[in-house]
Amino acid sequence: TAQTQIPPAADAPLRVLVDSRCISGGSEVVSRLRLRHGLQVHVCSLISSDFIVSNRMAVERQSESELAGVQNRKRLQDRMQRLQATFERVCLIIERDRAKPGETVRVFQRSRCYDGTLAALVKAGVRLLVSSGPDDTAALLTELTQVERRKGQAIAVPLEVKGHRQQALQFYLTLPHVSYVSALNMCHHFSSVGHMINSSVEELQASAHTSRSRAEDVYRCLRYSCDSALMTNQL
Amino acid sequence: MECKPVPAKLLHAAPPYGQILSQQKWRGSSLLQSLRGSVKTIFEEELGVVDFCLSNKTCVLYVSESDLVAGNSYRRKIVRFRNANSGLQGIVIVEKTHLSEQYFSGLQKFVVLELGLTLLPVSSAAEAAQLIAQLALGENKENPFLRKSVSRLLEPVVLSLVLQIPGVGKVKAMQLLQRFPSIHQLCGASVHELEPIVGQATAQNITAFFHNQFT
Repeated sequence: TAQTQIPPAADAPLRVLVDSRCISGGSEVVSRLRLRHGLQVHVCSLISSDFIVSNRMAVERQSESELAGVQNRKRLQDRMQRLQATFERVCLIIERDRAKPGETVRVFQRSRCYDGTLAALVKAGVRLLVSSGPDDTAALLTELTQVERRKGQAIAVPLEVKGHRQQALQFYLTLPHVSYVSALNMCHHFSSVGHMINSSVEELQASAHTSRSRAEDVYRCLRYSCDSALMTNQL
Repeated sequence: MECKPVPAKLLHAAPPYGQILSQQKWRGSSLLQSLRGSVKTIFEEELGVVDFCLSNKTCVLYVSESDLVAGNSYRRKIVRFRNANSGLQGIVIVEKTHLSEQYFSGLQKFVVLELGLTLLPVSSAAEAAQLIAQLALGENKENPFLRKSVSRLLEPVVLSLVLQIPGVGKVKAMQLLQRFPSIHQLCGASVHELEPIVGQATAQNITAFFHNQFT
């Protein structure tokens, strides 16, 4: 039978997952989260998002100029669609560009295209936050994590897995619409991979802390019968 | 003028596409002048705390530079909107200038994190006009950020799941799926059943992967 999850104590440290890509451009944010705000941070390959602050919320970080750039548009669209498919809530932090040394204060010219992007993001239900720099971004991430904890959505399982669980984690991450945090929750909930495969939609939903429709997608995928003729032709 | 709560009537008086409803108080303002040419403005008495209504779903509450610097009345307006529970998506547009910048982070925390509404900063009335026009015109456009539900074939997903099992490469994965076409069936297979397909060692790897209890 499944182990029941114990809700974290009120004074338990807030847990946040950070994508390893962020380290190159955002190591400042990570050290601020750890040292100034006292968060428990685990850096790993999240693939889809920059940060995960709760069981349901992904946070993406973009600079103003990245968001304005036409060349980034397709990439941003793909990422946002993917995040919306995987997470209940998606938040985008728009960070002001850092002035390069020797540069006078940069005036950001807002194009119609930029405002069109903002309008589409708002309409798609993406939560927008504006940040003045890495310090501010770290503070906003901390506040988001606190708000999510107040709503009972805090990440309650250890952020790292070892041994057999590591293999199981990779397996769960391959399932459709399963976020890193859902896979992590499943790792700590089920006693074996077979236990997960044989569980009901309700059990999947509860253990992964995900929506009914995403749990149904997983359930269906596990029972999907492959057409071997189709596979030899396609792959 | 005392602000009335958001009237239910607003829900029925949605502006046609390309037009917005505006509070009387904005008549003659530079913001509405900048809007000319992109969207048409209709003035409406009964908008309550809302400044502009963009559609039957979206409306704008405007916080000017002076509102922000002068203090708290805009907060009451926003809370009133929130408590009216009108079902409308509320977008707070705020003038974030050199003068009002210091108040921005507090406002953002209040509007976005506490109330769960949307907040968009602009630096001038002209910028606000451009943003409002895009918000109004975007209503009918196809949204590039929305999740598209496409029904894909699951064969590639199932194959990559099988490839996660230690010791199983592409050739063995295909052979396994021919005999056990779903993950559920593969998980239920015994070592005895797997051995003729992938050999003894891999067969044991597979059952261990599925059935070993985590410690």
